[in-house]
Amino acid sequence: MRPGDFEQKLSRQPLKPIPADWRAEILAAAREIQASRRSSFLIRPSWRVTLKRQLTSLLWPHPTAWAGLAAVWLLALAVHFSLRDQSPELAVKASPQSPEVVAELRQQRQLYVDLLGKTETREADRPRELAPKPRSEAVKIFAS
Amino acid sequence: MPASLDIARVYDEHARTLHAFLLNLTRNEADTHDLLQEIFLKLARDENLLCGVRDERAFLIRLAHNAAIDLLRRRGTRERARESLAAETVSPFAPAADPDEQTFRRELAAALAELPPEQRAVAHLKLWAGLTFEQIAAALEIPPNTAASRYRYAIDKLRGRLRPLYEELK
Repeated sequence: MRPGDFEQKLSRQPLKPIPADWRAEILAAAREIQASRRSSFLIRPSWRVTLKRQLTSLLWPHPTAWAGLAAVWLLALAVHFSLRDQSPELAVKASPQSPEVVAELRQQRQLYVDLLGKTETREADRPRELAPKPRSEAVKIFAS
Repeated sequence: MPASLDIARVYDEHARTLHAFLLNLTRNEADTHDLLQEIFLKLARDENLLCGVRDERAFLIRLAHNAAIDLLRRRGTRERARESLAAETVSPFAPAADPDEQTFRRELAAALAELPPEQRAVAHLKLWAGLTFEQIAAALEIPPNTAASRYRYAIDKLRGRLRPLYEELK
């Protein structure tokens, strides 16, 4: 069998014709799409409709997922605001000292004084008066 | 406003080629119809699709090939098994009055069905669409050498399978 003969034999085999009724059916469907596209070009939608379409096309593939994400965000915000004024640091600062604590502190201070045997603080421990004085007066003090 | 495309003209010029090609690849009349319609609906949706296309037929064959390959991939193993069983009944060839010719066409259809889709596509386009290897390469987006080698593999397999019958009928 010669290669050329075999290939010619194959290529001579007639193919099935396309069913005649397909033409009208396929062309009708195609023309319907063409007509709808042309009418959509003639009637230009308003910017609101366009925005809505864009958003819908953006969100539509997974509307449940987007809604779930929004719910999680709202929940996180609610928890954040509800806990904002109850932080432990602020709560400690805001609470006044109880009378028992004050009495205990006084008692400890008295005990400290009794142990040292002094009721007055030393001169050196007293804070100096820092009221401004004239320079000449200061000189007199150092001279005396 | 989109450019106006004469869909009827495109159908009359290319539908026959596309139909035979799709039928040879899918081996299913309903799938062939759906894919052919899908191609023309795509053209209707985007009427500029053929603008600037040098070889309309090659471009449409590429659309058909991509659509058919997508369909074949979508089909599961079960579907493929069913396809191979149905391959003997759905033939891309016209029935023949002569019994010997009918037998040859039936065997040829069965042998083609056994080829991998990429070899079958090249063999079909070379033998029955009359395309050159360069045109086949452009249509299927493969190098011309690949198109030629796939054709050779396909012809060798067909020859091996059909040789006894061919010699007998000669």
